[in-house]
Amino acid sequence: MQLILGFLNNALSWWHWLVLGAIPPLIIALYFLKLKRQSLEVPSTYLWRRTIEDLHVNSLWQRLRKSLLLFLQLLLIAIVMLACLRPSWQGRELVGERFIFLVDTSASMGATDLGPTRLEVVKQRVNELIDQMTSSDTAMLMSFSDRSRVEQEFTQNRRRLRRALAAVKLTHRTTNLDESLRYSAGRANPADSREGERDVMSVAEALPATLYIFSDGNVPDVADFSLGNLEPVYTRMGTDECQNIGITAFSAERHPEKPDRLQVFGRLRHFQQKETSDEQAVGIQVGVDVFLDDHLIDSREVQISEEGTGGIEFSMSDIDSGVLKMQLQAESRNDLAVDDVAYASVNRPKLSRVLLLTSGNDALHLALGTEQSQKLATVRHEAPGYLNDVNYQQQAEGGLYDLIIYDQCAPEKMPQANTLFIGQLPPMDSWTAGRVQSPVSIIDTDQTHPLMQFIEMGNVAVVEATPVSPPRGGTVLIDSDLVQENTTHAALFAIAPRERFEDAVLGFRLVDSAAGEVITNWPIRISFPLFMNNVLSYLGSAQRASQTFMNVQPGQPVIVQTDEPLQKIQVVSPDGSNLEVTRTGLGHFTFTDTEAIGVYKIKNTSASDTQQLFTVNLFDSRESNIWPQLELEIGHETVSVQATSAPTRREAWKYLLVVALAVALLEWYIFNRRVYL
Amino acid sequence: MSSSSTEALSRLLTPELLAQLERMELVSRKIFRGRMKGERRSKRKGQSVEFADFRNYVPGDDLRFIDWNLYARLDKLFLKMYLEEEDLHFYALLDDSLSMDFGDPTKLHYAKQLAAAVGFIGLCRSDRVRIESLGQTLRQPAPVLRGRHSLWRMVEYLEAIQAGDSVPLVDGVKNFCLRNSGKGILLFISDLMDKQGYESAFRFLLAQQMDIYVVHVLSPEELNPELQGDLRLIDCEDGEHAEITVSRPLLDRYQRTLATFVDSAREFCTRRGMTYLLTNTNIPVEHFVASYLRQRGLVR
Repeated sequence: MQLILGFLNNALSWWHWLVLGAIPPLIIALYFLKLKRQSLEVPSTYLWRRTIEDLHVNSLWQRLRKSLLLFLQLLLIAIVMLACLRPSWQGRELVGERFIFLVDTSASMGATDLGPTRLEVVKQRVNELIDQMTSSDTAMLMSFSDRSRVEQEFTQNRRRLRRALAAVKLTHRTTNLDESLRYSAGRANPADSREGERDVMSVAEALPATLYIFSDGNVPDVADFSLGNLEPVYTRMGTDECQNIGITAFSAERHPEKPDRLQVFGRLRHFQQKETSDEQAVGIQVGVDVFLDDHLIDSREVQISEEGTGGIEFSMSDIDSGVLKMQLQAESRNDLAVDDVAYASVNRPKLSRVLLLTSGNDALHLALGTEQSQKLATVRHEAPGYLNDVNYQQQAEGGLYDLIIYDQCAPEKMPQANTLFIGQLPPMDSWTAGRVQSPVSIIDTDQTHPLMQFIEMGNVAVVEATPVSPPRGGTVLIDSDLVQENTTHAALFAIAPRERFEDAVLGFRLVDSAAGEVITNWPIRISFPLFMNNVLSYLGSAQRASQTFMNVQPGQPVIVQTDEPLQKIQVVSPDGSNLEVTRTGLGHFTFTDTEAIGVYKIKNTSASDTQQLFTVNLFDSRESNIWPQLELEIGHETVSVQATSAPTRREAWKYLLVVALAVALLEWYIFNRRVYL
Repeated sequence: MSSSSTEALSRLLTPELLAQLERMELVSRKIFRGRMKGERRSKRKGQSVEFADFRNYVPGDDLRFIDWNLYARLDKLFLKMYLEEEDLHFYALLDDSLSMDFGDPTKLHYAKQLAAAVGFIGLCRSDRVRIESLGQTLRQPAPVLRGRHSLWRMVEYLEAIQAGDSVPLVDGVKNFCLRNSGKGILLFISDLMDKQGYESAFRFLLAQQMDIYVVHVLSPEELNPELQGDLRLIDCEDGEHAEITVSRPLLDRYQRTLATFVDSAREFCTRRGMTYLLTNTNIPVEHFVASYLRQRGLVR
């Protein structure tokens, strides 16, 4: 009895139940006092009876129909009573009211140890969580790789969330949680009104949110970050059994001694759970195929060491340009495919273009005319008057030259090139010079800088010089005893960056071209041609050298320079799509659509032949390490794996009321279709 | 002639209709043998002005019919024979069950009008007119009317017929047949609404070998019932009830039932040589007589 009372007392009080319980007898009573028909006397019911004769044939149905209405009414009230009992089942519910779903879309989420890919499983999980959201919950969806992206702002609309989730795509990028965490924190934590002051006030109300991170945890630790009102829940995606052999490096370089020889290096790494027994780790041999322009040129077995690493190295000759491809023969289980192949592009070695503007300087002519110099660059000699030529202005603006040497002359506007000024200041306010002083003694040279490598200045004498001071960020390469305002020592030679170029300024002339006097004995020292060689190789070909073997990680921008001043180039992606890139104002092309791994071909839009190649490779041991981490380090907090939702009571009364409504509609329909013919 | 009789007459027949009816006569497809001298030619030889034949005289014959001219020429006695002229027996049988007491005018009133109109035609032509109702008992025979002067009696008699006697159709017809064995024209006016059916009743009539006209009277309420709602229909004759909920499909179905009922009655009559006429109380009697009955050959 007590049990029944307790059972009935859960939603309504006893008198509620009394009222509710009185309804079914009332319905039955009303049924018996059913509709009183209006009597009407007619001449004869003869025809009427014959009319409804057929109806009496199925009078069982007629009788049933009558009781069907009663039955439906009783069913209706029974459902309502059942709804009042608040039946429920155990379900799961998200904790909190605001949620941020962070979905890892980096390359490692393409691992196949879980579902089709890990990302697909993540989508399923997030969909389940979206299903568990109640109507008052709001959620935001972000994806992150090396950059974060808001897929859907905070919304209560679950359909929009699902649609945004379906649109999330796997990338080949690396992982960085930092940006998305800061964005999430910005949405959850109130901004400070006066940062840095003592009485910091919050200008907005704190909006605590639960942060669901779906990742394999192979992310750089996020430092200097406070979660604040964010409640992080880390869902570890991946299995303990997963393992991966990935190419973490693959490059080709020209032999320093023999430029026609190409040295190729590859590095493999085997990733698996650290606790796995050693027998598995030791003695793995991985087959590796090397292709040149899709022709197999080598196949090797690489021994993976105990540390899980292995390397491949070989040299090739007579390769002018082409694409090298290294691919794993996947016999061993390999859960991540994106790092099983690597590309290296070999571009034609290019000579630097150097413009020398001098009114006549034998020392420079000689130093730039050596055999070694000619291997590095083609030098054009012009008089300072060439500065006023239209051609010069176009070429300088268009970035045709890699290096322009101004000997005792200066342009009106700095060119799109590295520069070396001799005995003259660049036309920029940031560079300052002192008065001409004499004599000069060199105190120190910075031999760690590539420009000053192997340069011994001890035996160099300078008669007169102007101390120069570079702008902020510049480096003094030759220090002297000259006195300049505010400094004890002033620089004879300094270098400073300008946008993506570098300007070097030598504070003394080599010869006084006007008077024909010798200012310094440096040109007859062995260090001078070495210095010029350094100038050509560093200032002249620094950009070019990097273009020979261009490689970037997915998503990183590529800066392309062309031999001729073009307005547009065409980039052919590995999937064959063409993209036109327009020249930027800085005289080069910036290509950013490097999502796909593979070889990209750069073409002149007018010509069909490929001019340059560059490659996009993952080469990230953090991404190749697909074993899911147990913890995430966020600021000073360690986030462990947690369940995403808490058990909860799921009420059924809403659904019951919907059923009751349907029953009521059915009853109404049957009542209105009273005559069945 | 009392004033009530005049009123009754004007209720049944208008003067215009009477004038119209005077010019008509009843026609029988069959030639019957009458009982009295009438205005119709008979198959029998008898006394009339129309010569038919001669025959030899036999002792005992009426001397008045001897053709003396022939006796003078041939010295033999011949008897002249003439065609007999006879009267026509016209019967009107009215259904006076309670179901006939519906409609505006009531079906019974309509039946009376019709019987009066056709009866008047008969009276004008010196036919033998007898109007009966189904509820009439054997002990109260209806008067036999003859001659125009009997119009008042006919009207009075018709006025006296009241609905109320719910005699089954078959019993009423049987009684009628027992009372009236002679041949003639029968105008049977009924709504045929008998739950036992009209077929056995008609079979009794057929046995009489009369020239039968069945006038099926229905009221507009029966032809196009304008009912709505949940109704409990009570039969005025036997109190039986039928519960209906009026709906379009039900009314359609009623129409189909009615059409079937009418068609089967017509077919039954036509197959058996009876003339079936459906009318409703909205059709004026004069129109019905002048048009329908004339078309069917009852009047001329």
